[in-house]
Amino acid sequence: MSAAAVAAPPRNDLLGWITTTDHKRIGILYLTTSLGYFFVAGALALVIRTQLAHPNATVVSAHAFAQLFTLHGTAMIFLFVAPFALGLANFLIPLQIGAPDMAFPRLNALSYWMFLFGGLVIFAGAATNEGAAAAGWTSYAPLATIKISTGLGQDLWIVGVFLVSVATIMTSINFITTVFVYRAPGMTMWRIPIFTWEMVATSLLVFMAFPALAADLLLLFVDRHLGGHAFDPAHGGNAILWQHLFWFFGHPEVYVMILPYFGVISEIIPVFSRKPIFGYTGLVISAFAIAGLSMGVWAHHMFTTGAVNNPFFSFVSFLIAVPTGVKFFNWIATMWRGSISFQTPMLFSLGFLMNFLLGGITGVMVASPPIDFQAQDSYFVVAHMHYVLGGGSLFAIFAALFFWWPKMFGVKLHERLGTWCFWLLFVGFNVTFFPMHLLGIDGMPRRVFTYASEGQLPALNLIATLGSYVMLAGVLVFCWNVVVSTLKREPVGADPWRANSLEWWTTSPPPEHNFDTLPPIRSERPVFDAHHPDVAARTPR
Amino acid sequence: MRVPYPARARPKTGYVAVVHGQTWPATATTQSSVLASDWLLFTLVGLAVALLVWGLILFAIVRWRRSPTDGDDAYPPQFRNNNALEIAWTAVPLILVVGLFVYTYRAEANVEALLPKPDVTIAVNGYRWGWTFAYEGGRTISGAAQKPPEMVIPLGATTRIVLTSSDVNHAFWVPDFWFKRDAIPGRTTSFDLRPSKTGTFLGRCAEFCGLDHALMNFSVRVVTPGEYARWRRGPS
Repeated sequence: MSAAAVAAPPRNDLLGWITTTDHKRIGILYLTTSLGYFFVAGALALVIRTQLAHPNATVVSAHAFAQLFTLHGTAMIFLFVAPFALGLANFLIPLQIGAPDMAFPRLNALSYWMFLFGGLVIFAGAATNEGAAAAGWTSYAPLATIKISTGLGQDLWIVGVFLVSVATIMTSINFITTVFVYRAPGMTMWRIPIFTWEMVATSLLVFMAFPALAADLLLLFVDRHLGGHAFDPAHGGNAILWQHLFWFFGHPEVYVMILPYFGVISEIIPVFSRKPIFGYTGLVISAFAIAGLSMGVWAHHMFTTGAVNNPFFSFVSFLIAVPTGVKFFNWIATMWRGSISFQTPMLFSLGFLMNFLLGGITGVMVASPPIDFQAQDSYFVVAHMHYVLGGGSLFAIFAALFFWWPKMFGVKLHERLGTWCFWLLFVGFNVTFFPMHLLGIDGMPRRVFTYASEGQLPALNLIATLGSYVMLAGVLVFCWNVVVSTLKREPVGADPWRANSLEWWTTSPPPEHNFDTLPPIRSERPVFDAHHPDVAARTPR
Repeated sequence: MRVPYPARARPKTGYVAVVHGQTWPATATTQSSVLASDWLLFTLVGLAVALLVWGLILFAIVRWRRSPTDGDDAYPPQFRNNNALEIAWTAVPLILVVGLFVYTYRAEANVEALLPKPDVTIAVNGYRWGWTFAYEGGRTISGAAQKPPEMVIPLGATTRIVLTSSDVNHAFWVPDFWFKRDAIPGRTTSFDLRPSKTGTFLGRCAEFCGLDHALMNFSVRVVTPGEYARWRRGPS
């Protein structure tokens, strides 16, 4: 475990990667795998949009469509946005706190392999007789019970998501232990970089919320195969139980998918504004306020059931806007009077701010039950959650890729292609998802494979579909960028961005044991302090 | 993706044409006026917040963009805290959301209030993939995907909907009423409709319920009380 215990150099062949317990390699495996699932889930989304480009289209059947949106949602949420953050945190947390590895390296490797195979198990459903799971990523009982969803695909979905959820719980324990126990001398809690703080909050959320999902999945499996009747009112079960357990996990999950990316943004904006992060303490406290509040809002997904205390869940949901607002103002204050440059990581961070703001505002709207009565299960909600997870998390994911790519692989991604990638994704995203707000208000329910050729629906749907093809172009430009940058191989130094936290102290990519030396740690930006002592001297503590 | 199982004949057209729907929804009940004004309030407040924050971001990145003439080692002032400002941008949004909550609470109570004695009571059952409307002491209307049922209710009177499902979760949604409620097996839930406009309004299932979820439509025809009385006696 200690940095001195370095013997032979790591194997760089396939076996070396399969047997690795190095947090950086596991991180890169997580990132690559989750990006792979992203490409698949994105391709499914393009088929969905193609089917919906025109009313009464017959690109796919109703049953294929149900499998498409089920796998799209499941993969984006369980196999991409959340695990990408785990991969990033795997790579970054030990580096940011000056540690040689994670607290439990082998548990870490186990988590990764369970995640990889969990995803494959879910997709394996597509090869079964009745196809993949087709009950939506929320897989509501009684729809997902054996009487209705008879196929093996649904069982594979349950097993796959269960594997991923257990893997995520193990990783959260690993992160918390690592941050609390493995910090370098001088790295006090109030000097931990914001990204690592956000991952602590995220891990606590996972630790509290994911067991509810695992229990829910087990119940459904028992219900399907061992006569559990947990969700069957005819046998004393409760059809609404699934929703309570699912959303008890499902709303914290939203923050599991956004808090890490608040961390990403908080790392990038100061670097490209040439200023320290503004309101460090406020950012940390707001992360935990969001995490805490998010444990008490699950039933805002159930306003239209008539079975929950709407005002309570509405009020707590509103309250989350306050710490989220604090973060926004801190980011703006970080840029205020700065010296702002617009390299690709900053462009994507700004895109995150512009898009996520709209997702946050529509989030406050749907937290109001009278609005939710129209918006629930309509395209308005589809627009809202894509502005949060697509316009928010996805843009932060690209920001992170461009920002930490040099640290991971020793080469920068191409800037001009990065700018193209950003603008294609930014324009494509908004053209795809903004019209969906109007579709929802107009009365288009989500998860429909067809719609009427009347009124505004055909025009708005066609616009959305065209936007999705523009997003595809953006993703292809990114792939091309990876190829070009890898072939050109222009090596970068340890600190290509003049950045702040400890990962920029060591070489790019870092050696297996991470650090040969560490700078003195006197603030949350020790590397900046060491490289720019004159500027550090005039920075208030 | 595999071929559908069981192989299904595709419907020739997805929807049976209806008089209303798919354009900006009308506010066709007295409750929906309350609901739509909640939408309006939140949209205006949201727009104001969005313009303010977007404006601050755009102002900052234009005003303080790095110019090529700035020296490579030029760094701006390194300030990192302002307690007064931080308290302000915590407190002001807090006051704002408490205000919004009070408004929302009243609007919801208004919309969900049940009249002690409604004029018409209809037991609505959702099933895969259709609806049954059983009028208390009267007719029962039923219909599924290719022949959606029509609910007829009187203008100005209060109609109580008592909603349930006999298989999986569905949701009873009339966009022009700005309202939906889930139909859940083993539970009944009630709400009142007080139509303020005559006409035929499209209704649909909003909770995904399997293959033909997209086709599980219905319509609500609001008629004058006299017409309703004639309709209630049944087909002549």
